[in-house]
Parts: sequence; C-alpha cells; structure tokens
Amino acid sequence: MNWIYRGRCWKFGDNLGIDGDIMPLRFALEREMNAEVLAPFLMDGIEPGFAAKVKPGDIIVGGKRFGQGNPHIQGFLGIQGNGLGLVAVSIPRGSLRNAVNAGLPFLVGCEGVGDLCETGDELDVNFETGLFRNITRGTEHQYDPIAPELRAIVALGGWKESFHKRLAETAS
Amino acid sequence: MAGLTITEKILSRIEGRPVRAGEIIYPRPELVTVHDWYVVNFDRALQEAGVTKLFDPSRVLISTDHEPLAVTPQSSERQKRVREIVAKYGITQFYDVGRGGLGHVFPVEMGIVRPGMFVLAYDVHVTNYGAVGVLGIPLVVEISEVLALGSVWLKVPETIRVNLHGKLPAGSSVRDAAQKLIADLGDELVDYRVVEFGGDGLAHLDIPSRHTLCNTPIDIGAKSALVEPDEMTRAYVAARTDVPFEMVRSDDDATFARVIDYDLSNLSPQVALPPTPDRVVEVEQVVGKTIHHAFVGSCASGNLPDLRDAARILVGRRVHPDVRLYVTPATQEVAREAAREGLIEIFYAAGATLTTPGCGPCAGGRIGAMADGEVSINTGTRNDTGRLVAKQTEIYLASPLTVAASAVNGRITDPRTMLGGGA
Repeated sequence: MNWIYRGRCWKFGDNLGIDGDIMPLRFALEREMNAEVLAPFLMDGIEPGFAAKVKPGDIIVGGKRFGQGNPHIQGFLGIQGNGLGLVAVSIPRGSLRNAVNAGLPFLVGCEGVGDLCETGDELDVNFETGLFRNITRGTEHQYDPIAPELRAIVALGGWKESFHKRLAETAS
Repeated sequence: MAGLTITEKILSRIEGRPVRAGEIIYPRPELVTVHDWYVVNFDRALQEAGVTKLFDPSRVLISTDHEPLAVTPQSSERQKRVREIVAKYGITQFYDVGRGGLGHVFPVEMGIVRPGMFVLAYDVHVTNYGAVGVLGIPLVVEISEVLALGSVWLKVPETIRVNLHGKLPAGSSVRDAAQKLIADLGDELVDYRVVEFGGDGLAHLDIPSRHTLCNTPIDIGAKSALVEPDEMTRAYVAARTDVPFEMVRSDDDATFARVIDYDLSNLSPQVALPPTPDRVVEVEQVVGKTIHHAFVGSCASGNLPDLRDAARILVGRRVHPDVRLYVTPATQEVAREAAREGLIEIFYAAGATLTTPGCGPCAGGRIGAMADGEVSINTGTRNDTGRLVAKQTEIYLASPLTVAASAVNGRITDPRTMLGGGA
C-alpha cells in the first residue's frame, strides 16, 4: 500500500459531525457500505460540491473531535472512496475505530496542525512515518503515526478484509 | 513501576501478563452481549465470511429488549429470525420476550456478570455492568469478528478517577448527578478513557444507582465506566451467584489521566436540553415549559429506585390531561418487585401507561413515539432530534422525580415543590 500522499490541503475546523457534516445521516440509516456510492456526498452538509473539487491524494486536515457523534462508518468510507488521506487533531473513540475499519490512511493526535497549513497548500504526508510536509511553505513537522497493528488493518483495506484474513489464518 | 487501574488489572488478567494504557491487545471477553436488533446483522456478516461456528456460544448472551413487543409484521419476522439464529449457533444464554428484560441491567441483577469480568458488546450501554465493577466495552461492526474469533483489537484505555463525596440532597437523585457529571467532565477529557468511580460518597449509592452513574459517560465518548467494588458490591453479587469473584480495585499508586473530587451534597435537579445529553442546566431554567410526552425507564433510569421515585410523586396525584406518561420497568424482576410494592397500582391510578420490560420508548420510539410539535421530558439515554421518531420535537432528559412531577403539572416542574418538607 502507498502510505505517502501528495496533494492539496483541505482544512476544516473543530467538531465536524460524522452525521450531517461529513456524510448525510440517511446513508448511515440505510447502512450503505459502498465507498463509491458514498464518495460523491462527502462533506455535503457543510460544503456541497466538495467531492467534485478533490483529487485522489489530497489531504483533509481536521481539527478537534473530527467525526464526533454516533459512530457511523459512512463518513470515513466517503473519505476513503475519494482517495483522500486524513490528518486530525483528535478523533473520538468510536469514529477512530471506524477510520481504521474503513481502511483510511490517517494521522491523529496532530496538535497544532491547523497552524501548519491552509486550504490549497500542497502537502506531502507519510502516513507510515508521521512526517507532515507543507511543500508550499517549505516546512515540515513530525507526528506519531498510528500504531503498527492498526496500520496493518488499514493496509489490508479495513475491517472486513482484516477479519477475513484472520479467519483464514485461524483455519489454516 | 507504578500500580495499575481496575481496567489495566482486568485486561492484564485476561492477557496473562501485565498490560498498561496505550498498548494494543486482542483480549478474549468472558461474555459477549448482543441485542435483538443486531442479531440478523451479525449473522449476515458471519455468513459473508463463511463462518458457521461461534468462538464460544456459551459466552454469548442475546436479549430481546429493544423491541420485545413486536408491533409490525417486520418485527415479528425479525424475532423469528433471531430465534432461528440463536438455535443455529447453539447460543445458550438467550433471554427472549418476557424472560430477562433489558440486557444492560438483568445480567447484573441475576449475577451473570461479576466484579472483575471483561465483557464486549454490541450497544454502548454495556457500561452499566460497571455498577458491580465489570469492564464492559462496546463495539460496532467488529462484534462479528469477536463472535467468530473471540477477540478484536483494543487499545488499553487510560482512566479518569472520580471520587464522589457527600450525600445527595432531598429532591435530587443519582440521575441528576450522572447528567451533571458528564457536563462537567466534558467530552474532550473522557474521550477513549474509562471513568472509574470511587470515594466515600459511594456509600450512599446503591447498586441500581451505580447503573445510572455508569450509564451516562459513554454518551460523551468514554470508553467505559465502572465503580470500584466495595462491601456493598460484594454483598449484592454474593447474594446472586455461587461463582467466586475477585474484587478488583485500583492500586493506590495507579496512574490516572486525571483525579477529580466531586461533591454531591449541593446538587439540585438537572435537566438536559435538546439535542445532546450533556447540555445540562438547573431545572429552574426550564420550569414552566409545556410538555406532552413523558417517560420513566431505560437503562439509565429504569430500576426499582427510579420507579419508587416516580411513585413518590404520583401517589395520590393524576397525570395532567394533556400528557401521556409511559413507565417501563427495566427488567422482569424490577416489574415484579414494583408490583409487589404497590408501585404499579400507583402508576395506574395516576393515569400512567405501563409497558413491557426492556428499553421502552427509548429504543428509537418504536413504542410510545412522539408527533411533530410535541415536547417530551423523559429519563431515556439520549435526546437527539428525532430520537422518538418525529423530527419537529424537543426532548428534555431528567430524573424520574422531575419527569413525574412534570407529567402531573403538564409543564417542566421542580420536583422539590411537590415532595413536602420531610421528603
């Protein structure tokens, strides 16, 4: 898996809601799990047309409590479905599990990341090492990557793939 | 080397080696609980994965509590499917309609869960088991992986220690304390952490009250909540099971993310404003608000002392003509005790409606829902917009005393005005 994303920065504030802000609630209620179906609706609640502007490799920079609310996975599937990476100051408990479950490359615990970039900057983020580089500004910052056990799940594609792999290993 | 928290001790025992906050482990739960609304879903996920056997069917508990009264053809059909799935996998701990009641409550009551146990669950309020010192952690889709393989990844959480002091004043109840506490702690502090209760104030809080304490933190993002077991815990659990158990307590030199001292002795009745349970204000700020719908029950406040509180207000009074009041005992046992004590008679005489034990209206309003333009005050766990079906509604959360007093007056009411001097 490619852990290095190079693309434009899309910066958001604190407390983005998983339902409504990041993804319309109806997809959670319908238990829609297809990332391709969800991708066009990413950030529909706060920035309609967002998905049409982004390109694979772009990076969402979130603030505190990114994905707060009832832990539904659909918003993270939508980010992954657009080929985006995520760097956030914090992600609440249930949503953090869902970011892993969705197979999304992300960094979390990135204190002050909002001061290191603006929307439109060119970023280069290594999700395996935690190195965050702002090409436009010529600056870089080292964050902690997520734990290797969780990176392994992301690398496989997310929860279902990881579960099926464990099953196969248990059976053999 | 610093000592361990209750959570670290329980997970260390499960892992067979000392583990500390921050480590990622794959601990095997001693019990896995799933409710009636997710059984068909986990079965589908297992079928997709080609799984035909559970890791240990004897460690799985299924409760029909979210919709025990099937009121649509779809729900009758789902109940049938649940029974077939339970039989297919050989699940022995199946508490169907009329058997146990609310799955976050009766396993404590029946001694199925004991101090020091580790439980994984589908559904967040498994944290109620913390009332007797159990570590209960909720999962979402990954519960299927646990059912198949017996584990899933877990980051050992840090702990916030809350030492309770003092005794609640008359007219206030543990629900007021539990609501105010999550508002005071705040979501940033509790995120991915276990809230562990201790302190001399616990002596005044019985086991049902401790359910309420352990119920609310999860709604602002805690990993779990539990009460440090004491002599009250020992006596309660020993009366319910012959299985030996260990009273797991935190070491004096355990590392806590924060230690908080919390005084209960000046706490007044509190109301959570829509649309989140942590928007908590003093009851005085909302007194007079007209209501149409009221409910006493749920895993937060459906135990016997909660029903007693409601009955203290309702005895000799009538529910306001413009209000419908639903009362849902959490479990079969709570309902039976309430009948024995004469509480049921008081509710009926007051014009309340009793529903079958379980979650009651709180489970998404499948029964006793609201209509557009209505206002509810209830003891449910959450007050999100549309929680009780209609969207153009307002839901306030409060203690059984406040809900019952409001139901009588047809307006949000400070229960202290109805309890008299000696209450």
